[in-house]
Amino acid sequence: MLQEHELKTFVEGTTNYFEVAAQQPATVGSPYLVTDGTPAVHDYTGIITITGKREGIVYFTAPRAMLTVLLMKMQESDFSHENMRDLVGEVANTISGNARRDFGSEFIISVPSVVSGEKSEIPLAPGARSFVIPINWRSHSAKLVVSLK
Amino acid sequence: MSVSGADRTRKLLTVGVGTVLIVVMGAVLIAGFRLATQMNANVAALQTASMLQTYPAALAQHLTSLRDRLEARAYAGQALADLRTTVESFDRDLKRLASGPAEGPMQIDQAMMLWRQYAPVLEPVLAFNGQPYIDTDEAGSVLSKEGLEHYADVKRAHLFARENADRLQGMLAAVATGLQQQASAQANRLRLLLSAGVIAALVLAVAAAYFQITRASHERAAREAQEQTRDILRTVKEGFFLLDAQYRIGSVWSDALTRLFGRQNFAGLPFEELLKDLVPASTLATAMKYIKLLWGDRAHENLMKSINPLGQLEVQVDNGRGGRETRYLQFDFHRVMGPKGVKHVLVSVSDITSNVLLARELQESQENASNQLDMVLGVLHVDPVQLSTFLDATEAGLQLINAILKEPARTDAEFRKKLDGLFRELHSIKGEASALNLMSIATRVHALEDAVSELKKRAELSGNDFLPLVLKLDELMAHIKTVRELGTRLATLRESALPARGASQGGGVDPNEEISRTLHSLADRLAAEHHKRFKLAINGLSEMPAAYRATIKDVLIQMLRNAAVHGIEPAEVRRASAKDDIGNVRVDFRRVSDGYELVFEDDGVGLSPEQLKAAAVRRGLITSDEAAEMDTRAAMALIFRPGFSTKDDVSMDAGRGVGMDVVARSIYALGGRIGVSTQPGRYTRFKIALPATEEHASTAVA
Repeated sequence: MLQEHELKTFVEGTTNYFEVAAQQPATVGSPYLVTDGTPAVHDYTGIITITGKREGIVYFTAPRAMLTVLLMKMQESDFSHENMRDLVGEVANTISGNARRDFGSEFIISVPSVVSGEKSEIPLAPGARSFVIPINWRSHSAKLVVSLK
Repeated sequence: MSVSGADRTRKLLTVGVGTVLIVVMGAVLIAGFRLATQMNANVAALQTASMLQTYPAALAQHLTSLRDRLEARAYAGQALADLRTTVESFDRDLKRLASGPAEGPMQIDQAMMLWRQYAPVLEPVLAFNGQPYIDTDEAGSVLSKEGLEHYADVKRAHLFARENADRLQGMLAAVATGLQQQASAQANRLRLLLSAGVIAALVLAVAAAYFQITRASHERAAREAQEQTRDILRTVKEGFFLLDAQYRIGSVWSDALTRLFGRQNFAGLPFEELLKDLVPASTLATAMKYIKLLWGDRAHENLMKSINPLGQLEVQVDNGRGGRETRYLQFDFHRVMGPKGVKHVLVSVSDITSNVLLARELQESQENASNQLDMVLGVLHVDPVQLSTFLDATEAGLQLINAILKEPARTDAEFRKKLDGLFRELHSIKGEASALNLMSIATRVHALEDAVSELKKRAELSGNDFLPLVLKLDELMAHIKTVRELGTRLATLRESALPARGASQGGGVDPNEEISRTLHSLADRLAAEHHKRFKLAINGLSEMPAAYRATIKDVLIQMLRNAAVHGIEPAEVRRASAKDDIGNVRVDFRRVSDGYELVFEDDGVGLSPEQLKAAAVRRGLITSDEAAEMDTRAAMALIFRPGFSTKDDVSMDAGRGVGMDVVARSIYALGGRIGVSTQPGRYTRFKIALPATEEHASTAVA
């Protein structure tokens, strides 16, 4: 069973990113479970795969509008598709760094991969319930999904 | 202890021998120096004495020459001057020899005495300064009157000198011989002294070599011992150090300490400082008190060990990757005794993280096994159909909880709003699970309820606070799934084992009958758990229309719990009130003209309006002023207020403040009414009126 501190590590990794990159902290919304099927995905999704002590995936998925404002806050002027992809990849990378720091060699964490499009298929571990943690930043809301066995 | 004693003896011996040898060598050197100085003086004296030996003869010779010249009337001035020089030289050298540093033999005194006898005869000669001759025409040069006297003095002196020259020379020769003997004796002494010095130097060298060798071997041994200590301290897995009377760490510690605490230097570090950032202030204070106790002479080590507050310390340390991790440290304290009591306290620190985790896993697995067994036993006792219905309802309830969680929330108010909803759902699930005696589920729901209660107390709520809830919810869902699988397997097993019975029952169980059974089973469990004795009588429940079944079941479960916990008194209390030991709880369901009536009654302690008011004030539901103004009827209605309960300790069955409000609300939701009547000490009666259902209407028409 996933432990509270493990879940918190992923959540902190995500909120820290906003704090550092955009100088504006993100808040955590009300978490819930997705018991059947795949949780909803937004326009851009950064995914890390985890093996070792736990198996499954963790992903950060955000709508285009949120990423655009985030890029603006970061003084970026390039709002291209590529840059959006890079941005969610970077968030996933921060989550991965946080997990490496806290869990060490117990978790084997992949290099982040990025998918785009709301209809993207995210390969969830079969039989694992997913924890969905809304990440609210300004008026926007993204999701952190932790699906580990 | 023995090593340091031997070391001290060795040092003292080295210093003693060294001092003796230095004193001896110093004495040899000083004596040698003095001897050499004396010998030097002796040689000079010997030279003088040798030279002086020639003087008596020279004196006689000068006097002979002077006499001859006076007789020949020749010039005598030069001869007299030579005599004077010789006498002066002799006198001076002899006096110097007599008073010189060299120890003159006794002959020198004799020579001096003899020389003093020369004086009366020599003085007139030497004192002469007149003209010895006068020239006459007839006789030529003749001795003058004073010349004649002078001549006579010279002759006398000459005679004396000739007579005594040999004696004086002999005396001086004896002096020289004496001096020579002295010099020779001194030379012998010097030789002896030098030999002694050489021997002493050799002894010193040998002693120095010996001590050097023993010192080197001792140093080697000490170095080896030091290296061994170092190796032990470097290799040992525990952190070791000594604490002094000021609770400061000594200058030596094992390398493990560096790893355990992630710092390099510990020398002189106060123990308090070491723990300060790792433990809460209260633990730190206890630990420091404990350390102080250890320094007391009366502290018993084994007893002290049993009260060690640092036996298992949870600390957060740097994990070497920039993060923190939880480790468990065990501190052990051993007193090091000296002659004056406790000298140091030896502290050993071990990382027992793996042991603690292993023990925890073991305990968890034991608990799991026990829980599994409980679960199997629990499931075995429940009718498969009933179980399936319950699990369906529970899953639906959990989905509802998840739906509540899923509602977006950003503000404290939005988060807080969720809590009441969550609570009500959980409470209802728990009630059903308890009724069916499915304790593995009830315990989990209870834990979730606890978590929700905790959140209610928080000042500010955020999504982070809900993470533990959602984890527990996940765990509960997984557990429900396991119970369902187990139930299915057991049902299959039962069907295959008892095909005949299954066939004979055919149509299955009447749902209302099922509720009766559930209530009876719950009553038995409640009676056992709360040490109460009561009979449950249920009448007319078969009349209950299907539309009310789920709600009424929840309502009855809740009221039964309240009756068992709050209503029925313990047997001894009942006896004291002249009541039968065994209490009565009655459920009557019946049709009435405009619908249905459900009466739930217990012959317990009843409700006291004053107690109800007091409890409501305690919970902040009403103010004391409001309570004072409340009539009995209003006071009774308090039990239907959200958050009301008169039981202070929270057990699984009552006392959470959710119960009768849920009951009342669900009755209102069915379009019904609920009322309560009571007589303190005699009974509590709930009367519920429910409207007619379509089912009822159609039956009535028929």
